[in-house]
Amino acid sequence: MTMQRISRRRLSGLSLLGASLSGWLPRLAAQVQQSGQRPGRSCILLWMSGGPSQMETFDPHPGHENGGPTKSIETSVPGIRIAEHLPKLASQMQDLALIRSMTTKEGDHTRATYYLRTGYLPQGPLTYPALGSLVGRALQVEGADLPACISINPFRALSPAAFTAGFLGPAWSPLVVASDTNADGDVSFQVRNLKSAARLSGGQVDERLRLLGVLEQSFLADRPDAPGRSHLQSYERAVRMMRSESVEAFQLEQEDEVLREAYGRNPFGQGCLLARRLVERGVPFVEVSLSGLAGEAGPGWDTHADNFKAVGDLCGVLDPAWSTLLTDLRQRGLLENTLVIWMGEFGRTPKINDNSGRDHWPGSWSAVLGGGGIRGGQVWGSVSEDGMEVRENPVRVPDLMATICRALGLDPAATNLSSIGRPIPLADHGAVAIEQLLV
Amino acid sequence: MLKLVALLMGVCVCQPPQSVVRLSVAEAAAEVDRLFERSWQSAGVQPAERSSDEEFVRRLYLDLAGRIPAVSEVRQFLGDDRPDKRYELVDSLLDSPAFVRHFTILWRNALLPEAFNDLSSRQLLPGFEAWLWTQFSSGVPYDRMVRDLLTVRVDAGGADGVPALRTASSPAAFYAIRELRPENLAAGTSRAFLGVRLDCAQCHDHPFDRWKQGQFWSLAAFYSGFTPLDQAVRMQSAAGERRDSRTISIPDKGQTVEAAFLEGESPDWSSPRSAREVLADWVTSAKNPWFSRMAANRVWALFMGQGIVHPVDDFSENNPASHPEVLQLLADQLVAHEFDLKFLVRTITATRVYQLSSRQTDVSQSDPLHFARAAVRGLTPEQLFDSLAEATGYYQPYRSDNPFVISAETPRGTFLELFRDEGDSPLQKETTILQALAMMNGEFVDAATSLENSQTLGGLVEFPLMTDEERLETLFLAALSRRPLQSERVAMLQYVQQSEAAGVALADVFWALLNSSEFMLNH
Repeated sequence: MTMQRISRRRLSGLSLLGASLSGWLPRLAAQVQQSGQRPGRSCILLWMSGGPSQMETFDPHPGHENGGPTKSIETSVPGIRIAEHLPKLASQMQDLALIRSMTTKEGDHTRATYYLRTGYLPQGPLTYPALGSLVGRALQVEGADLPACISINPFRALSPAAFTAGFLGPAWSPLVVASDTNADGDVSFQVRNLKSAARLSGGQVDERLRLLGVLEQSFLADRPDAPGRSHLQSYERAVRMMRSESVEAFQLEQEDEVLREAYGRNPFGQGCLLARRLVERGVPFVEVSLSGLAGEAGPGWDTHADNFKAVGDLCGVLDPAWSTLLTDLRQRGLLENTLVIWMGEFGRTPKINDNSGRDHWPGSWSAVLGGGGIRGGQVWGSVSEDGMEVRENPVRVPDLMATICRALGLDPAATNLSSIGRPIPLADHGAVAIEQLLV
Repeated sequence: MLKLVALLMGVCVCQPPQSVVRLSVAEAAAEVDRLFERSWQSAGVQPAERSSDEEFVRRLYLDLAGRIPAVSEVRQFLGDDRPDKRYELVDSLLDSPAFVRHFTILWRNALLPEAFNDLSSRQLLPGFEAWLWTQFSSGVPYDRMVRDLLTVRVDAGGADGVPALRTASSPAAFYAIRELRPENLAAGTSRAFLGVRLDCAQCHDHPFDRWKQGQFWSLAAFYSGFTPLDQAVRMQSAAGERRDSRTISIPDKGQTVEAAFLEGESPDWSSPRSAREVLADWVTSAKNPWFSRMAANRVWALFMGQGIVHPVDDFSENNPASHPEVLQLLADQLVAHEFDLKFLVRTITATRVYQLSSRQTDVSQSDPLHFARAAVRGLTPEQLFDSLAEATGYYQPYRSDNPFVISAETPRGTFLELFRDEGDSPLQKETTILQALAMMNGEFVDAATSLENSQTLGGLVEFPLMTDEERLETLFLAALSRRPLQSERVAMLQYVQQSEAAGVALADVFWALLNSSEFMLNH
């Protein structure tokens, strides 16, 4: 049935149980390596909860009544113009490929979020893995200290299933990191429960782990089953992370003040900085959600009312963060191996509603790819004058997924075995990668 | 049709259902054991030993009460020397409210596997759970319970359909979660109650199985009276039901099909019944072999970790049963006992197979298909939290108006969310890093293992008349429902006696107990 999963577990289980089991945790603690992994390919997803307006970001329509008051500006690539709210990104256009012809039929937050984040429509009881779990699993390095998929400030309530590892199993579920903003406006991040209680001495924590080792030995020696092995493996990974130097990635105060400022002193900006620090330490997938201006949980881009001010404000957070991320990655030699994706679950209605807002619009909208594996400085697809329909090169969700896979060096047709034993390709059957966007 | 089914199950149809002899619990359990012993023999399998009383009492409480036993309950059971004490315990737990609560959660998970996928589905759960609670607490037979579910009046109440469904004690969530779409309802009905996965046949003829697209839509036609929720919202109309509708058109094919049962039989429309009533009568009929076998397989899987057909709702030619005769026996006896689920529970828990130890003594026990050793299974999030509460003496505050509504702000709510599992098989239960971190360092376990805040620990350390050895034993009973092994006793006592503060050292032991796989799994 689930042969792949079982054999994978058997292997790791054997290595764990092979040696003398007692004292495995303290031994492990001593073995924790200095961080010195060479980063392979990575992916950063900038996730725009609520569905960002294409008209106020990457596909402005000045002069048409649907365009509203939004003006367009020139970019570093002649002939490509984007909305006035993104001046810093405009100077980085050589590394970005705009897709202006995204099209789906899903106008509901729950279904659309699931679709864009997994590449599959919700169907029946099978839960598909989120992109981060798929990519994380495919690109993770054996023995890494940090998890394969890290999700910064996600807003999950509208579509919880879109934020899980689905049939890949909890071992690949995202490690969720939440931000904290103190009274002075300083943003910090922490993994929940990463530290032992303050009243415990280091020696006492070691003793606890030793006692746990005694118990695990008496139980697991005669019960070599998957749940026990997974328990042991997760505890090992958790302890490794608790003691790893790689968790200093979360210490943003190690960064230069000027750089922190450039990213923006807000949860999204500092989240992008954290993403760079994690990618630098070999984490294959990091996503940063922009849900609200101050990091509040919500579908921030769901601008049914007062669209122009709301999107302008959000872009004020997005523009410095994303453009600094690209510069920072480039300066550290990481950009050519790091794919950066910008998208939400759908776009907004070209027609402006009575509340100066724009409603859900899945038919013709924009997404952006940049950095590793992507041929920047171009626009793919276009919409009609009024923005109501795709005119050239429509891009369906599976096509986008296939393009993302290819940019990361993965075969979109490679399969994972689902829990019902059916092989499921990374990108849905019939997906066609957009060759013109790939290096 | 019987022939076809016989082929499918690999059994001969020498006994038509009406000639099935009604067996007692003891007779049925003995027959199950006889069949297993024969299959072990022919496969050269050496089954595990019988479980110890300590092993059994913990497993049974988790399976019937949804939590581990209290120290006093363990001591009482171990001290009981009646030979039939295991069956007595089954009976008394089956009568407890804890059983109703636990079965409510298990059947909610079984019947609404998609329930946690989005916010609006989650809001429908309390009403569904309240309905299940009523079924199990008043002992409604399984066939009647399913018939109620399949024929309930679905009054969507207003344009967005949802508010009315949210508050009522009703199985309507089964419909709302499937968005009142005929195709989703057909697929859901077929999986949940017949064990047949038709989902693929929705869009095309099934690639490996015999189901054709037309058969799928014929089943969907029984639900054709509904207007799907999203259409109703778009048209600003109430999602009323046309109860006599019995045809549906296959999308993108322009072909219209009439309602027909799974194997293509046409229903008898002569009596004045709605389409759903006609469907429900056929689904829940004692003569419908799919129905009783699916139920028997589901209950077996709840107690044994996996079905005789596995996955539990995938009966097909390509997925044969591991022990078809056992399944047939249980299905027949379920019918003979008027669909009394408790009869099945009593029978299964009375078998030698259920009462085997989980300790592996021979390599032939390693394949779960043989059921030659008790499975090591993951807990539901509810089982885990309620066991933690039991072990640590945490008092759970419930909301008085609806005990099923768990605020996300409580320790219980936080736990359930963190331990919610997407996986389908308890035999493949996986632990995440965040779960491990929460158990090791999280506030709840930390309070439970600190002398100031833990009920269990605080009381134990302050109680003057106990030796450290007795304290150690009590902690083992509280967390693992057993006394320490000699090797554990030596290692732990040495640690406690060498430390400067015995109380602090006992807290460390308790922490290790609660973080062990033995505590966090059923076995």
